[in-house]
Amino acid sequence: MLHYIELIFRNLSVWGLPVLMIITGIVEFALGLYENKWDKNERILDIVCFVVPKIVIRPAIVYFTLLALPALLPGLKGIFSWVPFFWGFLIIAVADDLTQYWYHRLHHQVPWLWRFHRTHHSAPYMGMAMASRQNLLYTIFFSQIYLTAALTYLGLGYAAIFVTGLKSLITTGAHSSIKWDKPFYTKKWLHPVAWVMERLISTPATHHAHHADTTDDGVGYYKGNFGNMFFIWDVIFKTGIITRQYPSGYGTKNYKKEEWYAQFLWPIFKSKKEGSELSADGPMVAQDPVEEPALNYNITRVAS
Amino acid sequence: MKLEKDTARKLTRDIIISLFIYALPVVLMLLTFYVNGQRPWKEKTTATILNNH
Repeated sequence: MLHYIELIFRNLSVWGLPVLMIITGIVEFALGLYENKWDKNERILDIVCFVVPKIVIRPAIVYFTLLALPALLPGLKGIFSWVPFFWGFLIIAVADDLTQYWYHRLHHQVPWLWRFHRTHHSAPYMGMAMASRQNLLYTIFFSQIYLTAALTYLGLGYAAIFVTGLKSLITTGAHSSIKWDKPFYTKKWLHPVAWVMERLISTPATHHAHHADTTDDGVGYYKGNFGNMFFIWDVIFKTGIITRQYPSGYGTKNYKKEEWYAQFLWPIFKSKKEGSELSADGPMVAQDPVEEPALNYNITRVAS
Repeated sequence: MKLEKDTARKLTRDIIISLFIYALPVVLMLLTFYVNGQRPWKEKTTATILNNH
């Protein structure tokens, strides 16, 4: 049994996930979940972000693993290969995902980092393409990739296959416009499962809230819900909210439909749109337009 | 645009907490080995020596 699971996860990390993402994307498109917001500029950006990192990042990781690590950590290859699978899985899962939580949170809370992450939040829709829609530099410096490569070099590679596979499935599912978690909230007998699930992993409800264009509806929370695979980090650090609802709109209020190449390659290429955060003389972080707050809600607020 | 003081304080506090969380699985693993009397790193060395003969 474990052998078959291993085969699935091994293939998932090579070609399985891209195939799964393309199928999900076709289903989302066929169901009209992009709501006619997927114009030419967005299409090019989503496709470039999906394809290019797979060509650029994989060789970078191979280089890092085969050449840089033996030089940086000589004689330590496989030194922890005795670690039992369960513990290896737990060590990698925590190390990888907590590092990504921090990488992600810092890009939201440290103003000068925001523009490297803005591309991930600019789309006025959700979909599986959002999982890979990132500025190239943000993707290259994904710190958890290198940490996991280092742990693989030290002997935890077998567990890493399972963690990265599981993480890919959860993050793709959390970004998808298919709200697979809805039955957990609508069927009462599933509520106990939902309670645990929404605190443990990212779901469409909690992660869509992170991609909302406003916090005024009491559902959107782009100032938090930073967790990628695990949501538990947001619970521990009080940076999340759980509402079991989906926001009314996605993206950022100050989106100026910047050119795909500027979004993908800022600051190498800059936007020509006046006042854009990605333009040469634009603000580091644009101020949101002031709106009347709406009344609501039934929120589990775990944010401070 | 500068980082707000309150944000910087929370970031520092949470980063310190994170260091403990990073260490937690390793500490729990070693504790389990201690309680159960397991020495998996030694088992691996023995197996390697046997294989060499």
